[in-house]
Amino acid sequence: MSVTESPTTVAISPRAAANTRTRVIGLLMAVIGLITTFIFGMGSVGSAKSSLTFTPVNLQSAPWHLGALTLSTRLCDVIIGLLMIALGVEVVVRHPAKGVMARFGLVAVLFFLALLVWAARSPGPSQVPFINLTSILIGSSTLAMVLIFGSLSGVMCERAGVVNIAIEGQFIGGAFLGSMIVSTTHSFIYAALAGAVMGGLLGLILAFLALRYLSDQIIVGVVLVTMLGSLSSYLNLQVLTPYPQYNTGHTAPNLAIPLLSKIPILGPVFFNQTGFFYVMLVLVVVISFGLFKTRWGLRVRAVGEHPEAASSVGINVIRTRYTSVIMGGAIAGIGGVAFMAAQGQFQPGYTSGLGYIALAALIFGRWRPSGAVVASVLFGISVYLADNLQTYQIPVPTEVLGMFPYLITIAVVSGLIGRVRPPAADGQPYQRD
Amino acid sequence: MQLELRGITKRFGSFTANDRIDLVVEPGQIHCLLGENGAGKSTLMNVLFGLLHPDEGEIILDGEVTNFADSGAAVRRGIGMVHQHFMLVPVFTVAENVILGFEPTKSLGRLDYEKAAVDIRRVSKAFDLEVDPDAIIEELPVGLQQRVEILKALNHDAELLILDEPTAVLTPQEIEALMAIMRSLAAAGKSILFITHKLKEVRAIADVITVIRQGRVVATAKPTDSEEQLASLMVGRDVNLTVEKPASTTGGNILEIRDLVVRDDRGIAAVNGVTLDVRAGEILALAGVQGNGQTELVEALAGIRSVESGTITINGRDITNCSPRQILDAGLGHVPEDRQRNGLVLSMSVADNLVLNTPRRHPFASRGSRNLAAVNSYAETLVQNFDIRTGSTQAVVGSLSGGNQQKVIVARELSRTLSFFVASQPTRGLDVGSIEYVHQQIVKQRGEGLGILIVSSELDEVMALGDRIAVMHQGRISGIVTPSASRETIGLLMAGVVEVASA
Amino acid sequence: MPRAFTQFANAWVRLTSKSPIVVTFFAIVLGLLIGALIIITTTPAVLVSWRGLFHSWGGLGHALKVTFDNVGSAYRDMFSGSVVNPPEFWHALTTGKNWNQALTPISETLTYATPLIIASIGVGLAFQTGIFNIGANGQAILGGIAGASVATLIHLPMILHLPLTMLAGIAGGMIAGSIPGLLKAFTGAHEVIVTLMLNYVVALFLIFSLLSTALQRPNQSNDISRNFDPSAQLAPLFGTASGLRVSWGIFIALAVVVFAWWFLDRSSLGFDFRVTGANPNAARASGINAKAVIVMVFLLSGGLAGLAGVVQASSTTHLIDGGFLIGNAGIGFTAITVALLGRNRPMGILWASLLFAALGVGGRAMQASTGIPLDLATVIQSAIVLFVATPVLVKEIFRLHTAQTGAVQLATKGWSS
Repeated sequence: MSVTESPTTVAISPRAAANTRTRVIGLLMAVIGLITTFIFGMGSVGSAKSSLTFTPVNLQSAPWHLGALTLSTRLCDVIIGLLMIALGVEVVVRHPAKGVMARFGLVAVLFFLALLVWAARSPGPSQVPFINLTSILIGSSTLAMVLIFGSLSGVMCERAGVVNIAIEGQFIGGAFLGSMIVSTTHSFIYAALAGAVMGGLLGLILAFLALRYLSDQIIVGVVLVTMLGSLSSYLNLQVLTPYPQYNTGHTAPNLAIPLLSKIPILGPVFFNQTGFFYVMLVLVVVISFGLFKTRWGLRVRAVGEHPEAASSVGINVIRTRYTSVIMGGAIAGIGGVAFMAAQGQFQPGYTSGLGYIALAALIFGRWRPSGAVVASVLFGISVYLADNLQTYQIPVPTEVLGMFPYLITIAVVSGLIGRVRPPAADGQPYQRD
Repeated sequence: MQLELRGITKRFGSFTANDRIDLVVEPGQIHCLLGENGAGKSTLMNVLFGLLHPDEGEIILDGEVTNFADSGAAVRRGIGMVHQHFMLVPVFTVAENVILGFEPTKSLGRLDYEKAAVDIRRVSKAFDLEVDPDAIIEELPVGLQQRVEILKALNHDAELLILDEPTAVLTPQEIEALMAIMRSLAAAGKSILFITHKLKEVRAIADVITVIRQGRVVATAKPTDSEEQLASLMVGRDVNLTVEKPASTTGGNILEIRDLVVRDDRGIAAVNGVTLDVRAGEILALAGVQGNGQTELVEALAGIRSVESGTITINGRDITNCSPRQILDAGLGHVPEDRQRNGLVLSMSVADNLVLNTPRRHPFASRGSRNLAAVNSYAETLVQNFDIRTGSTQAVVGSLSGGNQQKVIVARELSRTLSFFVASQPTRGLDVGSIEYVHQQIVKQRGEGLGILIVSSELDEVMALGDRIAVMHQGRISGIVTPSASRETIGLLMAGVVEVASA
Repeated sequence: MPRAFTQFANAWVRLTSKSPIVVTFFAIVLGLLIGALIIITTTPAVLVSWRGLFHSWGGLGHALKVTFDNVGSAYRDMFSGSVVNPPEFWHALTTGKNWNQALTPISETLTYATPLIIASIGVGLAFQTGIFNIGANGQAILGGIAGASVATLIHLPMILHLPLTMLAGIAGGMIAGSIPGLLKAFTGAHEVIVTLMLNYVVALFLIFSLLSTALQRPNQSNDISRNFDPSAQLAPLFGTASGLRVSWGIFIALAVVVFAWWFLDRSSLGFDFRVTGANPNAARASGINAKAVIVMVFLLSGGLAGLAGVVQASSTTHLIDGGFLIGNAGIGFTAITVALLGRNRPMGILWASLLFAALGVGGRAMQASTGIPLDLATVIQSAIVLFVATPVLVKEIFRLHTAQTGAVQLATKGWSS
């Protein structure tokens, strides 16, 4: 065991420490609110107006038309800012036991909204005088979906005590094989299955090396990502380039749910998506339910927290870990297919580190499915905006916004905002006597 | 349930942890297994609980020979174990821990918490084990956590309960409560196997006592036997130790400890108000059953555990809460209790380990660059002087025998300019020859005017080496006597029975 | 003959029980075998030849020949493209002409190896202290940015400019390394997560600095820097005219190897590092300040990575752009695998860097002549490292009777430590 106890640590009540951290988060939220109020709100000209539209540009089944919403930039951002301050103050004063990170996530989303409203102000520097909110949400939702697949995979593995740093590799594997299968069979169901098998196989390799040979899980994970990256690039040139019929670049069709998809603003985001999106929603529910309400979940979590205790009541630690890691790998594999289904044709390196952002979302989401969803949505929006800032003419350097998921994760693991606690046995080797 | 162990033998490589152990536990009986740390108690329990498989011998439950594939099988056969390190998931609730592995479920594999709560309430009521099923384990005090462990075993319908050093982590009040629980369980017909090294508890609760030492059953005793008798059975040695000790002149105090309070890893005051002086040219031997605060006292001395209150001075210099570096420079030599963990770097060479504390000292290094020739020739000298059996000074320490590893530490510590020397269990696990050698070295240092503190749970060693013998019990010094005192007197002090005026 | 066989068997057992190098050797063999397997299963010509087997057994010989030809030529091209091309070399030897051409492969390998050696030594030093510095790539990029700032924005005579550029690279890497170091020492943040995230932060900062700061080449909208001043360039060893790219940087790399050897084996600080890595408890008891060691090891490791970054830019491209050390060019990531293969020892890392550089350079040659993509080299590299990280597996495959495992000296640990 690598736990080193510091002699200077005097037993502090975990509750008291948690309260201090909660206050820090609350203060931070209030500060972001102040910035929003004064820079975006009061900082813009009083006469400036911002236009928000809600009809996605290229969509076969557009929602019921809502028209554009034109707001006073200053008023809108001041209200948003005050709302954020209120949330922050509430956290500081009441320090609620639950949902602090969710509130923080909400503040971050509101911040993005305020930023967009501010950027769209007219008169202003931007040539585009309106912001299409629904388009942005749709664009972000694809990324968020992929991140959720990845972070759910991490939840599965790490809750059972195996660090899965190879999510990126499973994405690549899933996307590659998925593209080949869909090109040949024209079936996204087969592609998803193939992606699951691919991801599961990579999970099996990780589990085999980590559980049977007690190899360092982080090293194995890092090397697996390198290997998948180069192998997919090799196969792309060696197989897909000479035989383009294996990589035709289908994208999955949207399956609009009647009526629901017509709901303005959120309808197209939630109810006019590819099948993968609905699979993702189901997975979130199933895994949350499974992990926290069922016998299976209790055992998986016990294995990840205290394998000796689990073993002492007859639970097979090794087998539980194998199953979880293989299932986790399969989920990430499907995530890779989902990414391919949105992006089309497989290209080497086009997952561009999304797997690591999913890992970050897992950590930011405190190893919980619900937290992972909140973090994935947040990171999805920020990645999407960073990639598309040019389109929306936001006068913030793309790169700075792109750093957001990484910086916030560093802040979280350092305990600068909140303190995360991984499953106690996460990454520890386990040996039967 | 009646349990019988017949000829249980368990070996780890060449080391025999259990050697033909026989034992019978009758229903409704509290059977104590008494022995020092390392005597083989925990191994025996792990064998019984299916965590280890015996090399020889058989386990018989109610007349039926049984083999446990794993601990789950043992649990299903009605054996419950309360481990020394609790087998509880800290972030789970009481109910979740109790049902783990035997979960009641509803449709879809959903956990049936209502049924679990009802079951837990029923068992807690039956045995007077009050605990909130919805409490989170890590937020409960240790005593209650242990209660959950017992509850867990009972909820799985245990008929035989093994308690492995259950009182080691408890406060006196919690111990009282535990004793009451054990009595009520026995009254309800459960068999109890109680593993401990604490004499007082044994006498208070046992029906039958089996003493084991070095993996063997050495005696069966009755709770009416005196604590001194039990103590000598437990810590007795087959080897008769004689140390030739010339008279020495003692000087002023080298080490002064005043009202020292040190907390252990769990935040309990393991050292609770110790005041102690060691004079120049004197060996003070610190005796006591293990786990009475000796470890923490020495760690605080060496600067690797922080001091809560009180002071430690060496030669008048206050070293309380100084860094290990500052304390080493103040002239403290330290042979740690766990030599492989704290004293050696097993993957590095004998030579490197011999200068582990002083790698920067002249002539081993100058201006940041090590002088390996000087290190090696120094190592050669030490290997010769201290008779360390190794092929070469460049061999990795991990390849040496335990005795020679210990000699490396002793050689390293005693070859510096010291004013004070402290050694914890300096001869544990060593062969007779090495023991003698280490003892001679310690006595030699005494002749040179060092103050020396020897911590040992071996009564013979304490009596052979010490000029004065301090006995520690529950974090306090229960008395200081001369080596002419009888074993019985020391045994009483170890049990915390009487306080004898300072010698 | 049985006696000879026994002798051989005994020799085999003696050999395989001695040294962890044997495991490394077999890991390399396995890696190359996997590479061959991949070529066989993905090269159309080979697959077509095996299809002949369905028709007649006579096709077997043909199929085997095609297989061996393809695999053989791939590996042969890899060798001649990275070490030496025997005919060309023979020609140069006998005629004394065209030496430049004969030496080009080895020059390319050394060019590629130069920054790799430096970065890998940095990663290896951290490993030896029990620290997993996965952020060498980010540190190298920041080193490159800092070095490029000095090399393009300041103008000095070479005797000042070149050393200053190198120092700037070291400083840049140290800055990037100090963040995980300080966070680990004072907040306990896991270095793997922090360095992993910082890699991306720095990669984005690279684009930012090339687009939005003075570093951007004037009158350009692309993410590209000015050229390094000639006074800040590491010149080719044999002059620009020779066409051989191997630069004076190779001496920096060798100096780093010697330094690392001295540091680990001879310096007092290196002794502290090794003790901390091997047994943190004993380190603390013997008076070593653990926090200081953590911060220092990150400064050293990051500084070396930064140096690697600036050496890379200063000896090959003479500029940095948005693709600097990104993706396949990420020597900081390769450095992790190189350090593992070299078992974190300076000499081991030197050889491992040369091997991986040769695989990379040879891969390019292989792609040029046979069309087999150079990414195969990276696949082989990762396979080798997976096997090195799992010595027991290698031993089981080859039935080695090794007592020592030669396992990577890094305690397996989770996020929580």
